[in-house]
Amino acid sequence: MTDFVWLVIAFPLAGAVLLHFLGRRLGEPLAGIIGTLAAAAAFVVAFVAALPFIVEEGNHGETVMLWEWMPAIGANLEITWDPLAAVMALIVTGVGSLIHLFSVGYMHGDERFARFFTYLNLFLASMLTLVLGGNFAMVFLGWELVGLCSYLLISFWYTKPSAAAAGKKAFVVNRIGDFGFMVGLMLVFTNFGTLAFDGIFERVPEILDGSTATAIGLLFLVGAAGKSAQIPLYVWLPDAMEGPTPVSALIHAATMVTAGVYLVARSATIFAAGDAGIVVAVVGALTALWAASIAIAQSDIKRVLAYSTVSQLGYMFIAVGLGGYIAGIFHLMTHAFFKALLFLGSGSVIHGMHEEQDMNKMGGLLEKMPVTGVTMGIATLAIAGIPPLAGFWSKDEILGVAFEYGGVGIVLWVIGLVTALITAFYMTRQWFMVFTGEPRWEEGVDPHESPRSMTVPLIVLAVLSVGAGFLNTPFRLTLEHFLEPSFELVKVAHPPEGLGMFALLAAISVGAGIAGAAMAGFVYSRPREIWERFQGGFGGLWEAWQAAYRVDDLYGATIVTPGRKLSERMAFDFDAGGIDGFVNGVGRAVRSAGARTRVLQTGLVRNYGVGFVAGLLAVVIWLVIAGGGV
Amino acid sequence: MTFAQVLTPPSVGWIAIAPEIVLGVGAALILLFDVQYKPKRTHLGLATAAIVATAFAFAIVQYDRVQTLSQATADQAADFVATAFPFDAMIVLDANAVFGRFAMLLVTGLGLAAGWRLFERLGARAAEGLALMLLSATGFMFMASSTHLMMVFLGLEVGSIALYVLAGITRERTESDEAAIKYFLLGSVASAVFIYGVALTYAGSGSMNLLEIQGVLARNIFTRPAVLLIGIALMVVGMGFKVSAAPFHSWAPDVYQGAPGGIVGYMAAAAKIGGFAALIRILFTAFPDFISTWGPLVAGIAALSMLLGSTVALVQDDIRRMLGYSGVAHAGFILTGVVAGGAGTGEVWFYLGVYTVQLVGAFGVVAAVTGAATSGAGIDAFRGLSKRAPFLAATFTVLLLGMAGLPLTSGFVAKFGVFTEAWQAGYEWLVIVAVLASVIAFFFYLRVIVAMYMEEPVDEAVAPPGISVRASLALASLITIVIGIVPGPLLSLAGEASPL
Repeated sequence: MTDFVWLVIAFPLAGAVLLHFLGRRLGEPLAGIIGTLAAAAAFVVAFVAALPFIVEEGNHGETVMLWEWMPAIGANLEITWDPLAAVMALIVTGVGSLIHLFSVGYMHGDERFARFFTYLNLFLASMLTLVLGGNFAMVFLGWELVGLCSYLLISFWYTKPSAAAAGKKAFVVNRIGDFGFMVGLMLVFTNFGTLAFDGIFERVPEILDGSTATAIGLLFLVGAAGKSAQIPLYVWLPDAMEGPTPVSALIHAATMVTAGVYLVARSATIFAAGDAGIVVAVVGALTALWAASIAIAQSDIKRVLAYSTVSQLGYMFIAVGLGGYIAGIFHLMTHAFFKALLFLGSGSVIHGMHEEQDMNKMGGLLEKMPVTGVTMGIATLAIAGIPPLAGFWSKDEILGVAFEYGGVGIVLWVIGLVTALITAFYMTRQWFMVFTGEPRWEEGVDPHESPRSMTVPLIVLAVLSVGAGFLNTPFRLTLEHFLEPSFELVKVAHPPEGLGMFALLAAISVGAGIAGAAMAGFVYSRPREIWERFQGGFGGLWEAWQAAYRVDDLYGATIVTPGRKLSERMAFDFDAGGIDGFVNGVGRAVRSAGARTRVLQTGLVRNYGVGFVAGLLAVVIWLVIAGGGV
Repeated sequence: MTFAQVLTPPSVGWIAIAPEIVLGVGAALILLFDVQYKPKRTHLGLATAAIVATAFAFAIVQYDRVQTLSQATADQAADFVATAFPFDAMIVLDANAVFGRFAMLLVTGLGLAAGWRLFERLGARAAEGLALMLLSATGFMFMASSTHLMMVFLGLEVGSIALYVLAGITRERTESDEAAIKYFLLGSVASAVFIYGVALTYAGSGSMNLLEIQGVLARNIFTRPAVLLIGIALMVVGMGFKVSAAPFHSWAPDVYQGAPGGIVGYMAAAAKIGGFAALIRILFTAFPDFISTWGPLVAGIAALSMLLGSTVALVQDDIRRMLGYSGVAHAGFILTGVVAGGAGTGEVWFYLGVYTVQLVGAFGVVAAVTGAATSGAGIDAFRGLSKRAPFLAATFTVLLLGMAGLPLTSGFVAKFGVFTEAWQAGYEWLVIVAVLASVIAFFFYLRVIVAMYMEEPVDEAVAPPGISVRASLALASLITIVIGIVPGPLLSLAGEASPL
């Protein structure tokens, strides 16, 4: 039925290949248009392929085999096309297409215009491999490739040292996560003897005992925390804002960073069999609050959004950790819309302000950039959880799941509420700082609205940010019914039953959202002196938020510097001191042949031999003792 | 032995050593022809290629013979022994030996093509270089096919001594001389350690034939096997040196950096194949019952190699040194498969086969970029390579990603295989270390790729590589990708390669 679904991956991949070889010749804007069309074609295919799930209730989808790669270990090139994959594919290609279109305007005039679209297309193909793969080998392939693309795109403007450093940081931190993921995969494979989803998820109850399931879950969590920027591995995401803004929107807000959430949702049966889920939820809650508090005091327009993304991903972790897979995916979807909108809007602002990112130097832009201002305002209301916008429904469902869980869940619910209040505050603060008040522009800056290719995606995303919430309301559970076949093997957690309960919880969370928004509106709609007095009221706390709690410095002092020193010491003291000393000695010896014997006898030989002989002795002693030789 | 017996040639299957004979005789012929007729260097190269191809054809015949042998019935037992263990059981004709020849000859052919510019530069000494290459291949192939420790040692020496000379074949370059002398000095120590191990093993077991040793050990219980154990330890150390496993790796980065660019890939790959072939033959054939003793030891060496190799490679600014340290890490990965014992033979051979092809290819690129006769290869020479030499940059990228173990390359299948074997053998901790090392290792491979694709080129034109270089690099990359996508056939072929 849907065996044409491989085209979803093939279109962007073909786009990437085509642009790689012909991009320079195609030039601007043709390369961008081709890239956008490749993404849009993938969306159309995904949409057509998803129709059976809509028409036919309870359709499980199918596994489409493309190529028998390593059938013995269940690693084939195959696509699991089920409702979960379909939702992910639609989000990735849909938001992806809009962001491609936006980039045509945003990257205008960049000398590597075509190369940018090559990478974007390649990223889409990789991300789709990750979410469509029918076994963990393909997931792993996608996982590695999106990391690679993220690295390439963050350091796209590699001549900026900060961009190159940010790319490297993202890569290194992600590798820590990948390590956990890979060990988890080994554990899965050695227990199940296969990597194929078909052979794993159904057999979880009979094969995994509780502790193994927990171990796999925790290892997957490490991987997910790396990709989805959760504590303690979130530090790369704010720096990743060095990349071009469309990249931030696509990779670091809407798609790649949700890979961790997807992984947990996909492996739901494994998490259900052990106790790792609650850890996922706690990590998510802590991250949500932690990152939200940092976002309060940021003045860079993109860094606010970066910390906000980390925080919102925390919400999704709470949901999937507690078993609310559908709530988590729901929020993943609405967040993709409004956060992509916020990032693109900020890109539009940055574009109009001549690459200015400091909100202290903005203000009064609503008049100059009405479309950007209004659409960003909608997104702000959506993320603040104001009904009936999208963010309200999905966030409330997550909070409901936490509340229903009871016990620890209540604590998570409270944390979620506080975070909701803070979120509303910092987002409203941002909007007022950027779009209202007296202009604080630098000399010579002349803000202007962005071209049509940039505003159209904003408008589409704004519509989605308003309407997407209605896909899953307590009155009409469309998304829930759609996704259900993918989660048949587990018990999916839900918010409390009954409309009365829903109304009560909604009132509380909406109250928190309105309180936060009102507070920010009250302060930041006034002149600058007022906010400075307000911010001063927090004293050292504000500075701590501004400096992101100095976590980077902490990591630098405890991990990065010692790690580099260790590596260098191994290379230059341990390996080179002993060995190269000898080599140089020999070099000298050869050049002055007469001195050869003398040099060899001065102890340099002893130097080089230290490692060898020490190793030799260790080996001999070990074998004799372990083998019971004496 | 009667006079008649001495006169009658032993009824052995010469086929068992046919590839070695072809290479050895071929090497001698090349030298003779060179002295007599002064042929063109291109002709010499083609002749060498033909010799290697002929040897490969014989190896295929051997493979066929081994297939037949494996189906031999009980009443053919005597015939089986005569065919499988010719020359008084000094040599064995089994899948392990044949696979070793496949790998060795492939690497020789690729190395010859990739390093061809070096032989052109050698001028009148080209024939010497080619003969030495063939001789070293002969020696290392014997390491894979002998069941007698004396033969193993002879193979080791024939192979190694030829390599020492090759390392310094561009005599006028001090860096190369330095590398050659260093390789020779350290290599001699390693050989001495190995032969001492052989002696102690003989003292402990009363035999130098691996099958007999296994029999003796199976029949007797040693209350105090110290001598034998020291023997095993010394042999492991000797082979550890050849495959550049830590802490016996110190020569590798220096030699790889100093030796002439065109030959390094072959040197590195050949020594790895020979060393591992002998190591698994010795450990799996003679000492399978001691696996609980040598297993942890090999695991320790593997862990140290992986960690040291991958962390130190991070801070190297010379691509050749980087590849040298990455080779240390790869030795560790392969040893991860060795700890699984006989069950892991297929995975070890698979890894060895695909990695050595990548290694020869990678050094081929390095030689094409920074010169086939020179030493060193700073990373600066690779900046912006994609603009200056897109073909070289693309093949290098494929090969590096293969070494990094990205899925859909042969490296991924190889790593997955050895990791799984080690895990199933109970070495979970080693697999975790291995995963950690491969996570780290990804970074320095990527660093080179980024330098090639995302950094500004230095103003240095790269001479377009010759046809043989292009062909060999294309082949190495193609193998890396095709085996990555269709690993089945090679996996099953390597799976047969367990020693008798």
